[in-house]
Amino acid sequence: MKDLQRLRTSLKEEVELALNAQVKMEAEASSKYLAMASWCEVNGYLYSAKYFFKQAEEEREHMLKIFHYLADQGVMAYAPEVGPVPHDYPSFRSIFEAALQSEINVTHSINRLVTLCRRVEDYATENFLQWFVKEQVEEEINARRALELFDVIGEEGTGRFQIDRHVYKITQLDIE
Amino acid sequence: MKDSFTLHELYRTAKGFTQQCDLTNRIILSFGEQVIAFRYLDFVSFRRKVDRVNLHDMIFNLDDAYDFEVIEAPKSNQQLVLTLCDLVQLRELLSGTQFALDLNTMLHEALYTYVA
Repeated sequence: MKDLQRLRTSLKEEVELALNAQVKMEAEASSKYLAMASWCEVNGYLYSAKYFFKQAEEEREHMLKIFHYLADQGVMAYAPEVGPVPHDYPSFRSIFEAALQSEINVTHSINRLVTLCRRVEDYATENFLQWFVKEQVEEEINARRALELFDVIGEEGTGRFQIDRHVYKITQLDIE
Repeated sequence: MKDSFTLHELYRTAKGFTQQCDLTNRIILSFGEQVIAFRYLDFVSFRRKVDRVNLHDMIFNLDDAYDFEVIEAPKSNQQLVLTLCDLVQLRELLSGTQFALDLNTMLHEALYTYVA
């Protein structure tokens, strides 16, 4: 009797579902960053807006990377439904705090995925996820660096103006 | 031509049974009057659709629309009109089938993997 399941895919169903959940999480993260970019743009923090637009694009790229991996493994990747995301933030600083928290949540999720892969002995997917493990280290560094600027520069006087100008340098974005 | 060599029963309940056809690589579901052949991925998608039906709503909502659920079988141009009772029985059959498929994978891994 043939093993129809294995002939179709090497992914275990629980890994497939967890990867699809990660697709959704990355899409939500992208949407959150877009909302942050919008808030920054309308409140005059144009450099930070550029920074968040770039972050939104990156999260979408992460989502597509997993999306393509699922398809390559012969299973269905589900286009994620993204619910409403917060658009109101009490302060400039709170946006960066929310961004860091979002990155921490993604890191936890990636770590849980790696643990799952080890448990079910899916070493190919674990290897694929190592790129995300490394990427999350960088994402958290960037998010922390942005928050550090608030402490280093201070928000008094023209502080927020200076912070905004320095945020883009974190990822060396080109700003016209 | 399908025969006992290519058709393997996966699971059987009072309401139906499933078989695996090694000639066409299809999973054949016989449930009540209906017979549907699925590719593996379509079978998984169909099972998830059946699992997603909210039985609680069907039990407690008095609206006529909640008396049955229409589920389309992927790529077969067939629809199943299922009552609450049908859904419970179909879920049992499909989860039993999935168990048989999982068990077969485990057996293949344990028995047919070359050990140096």
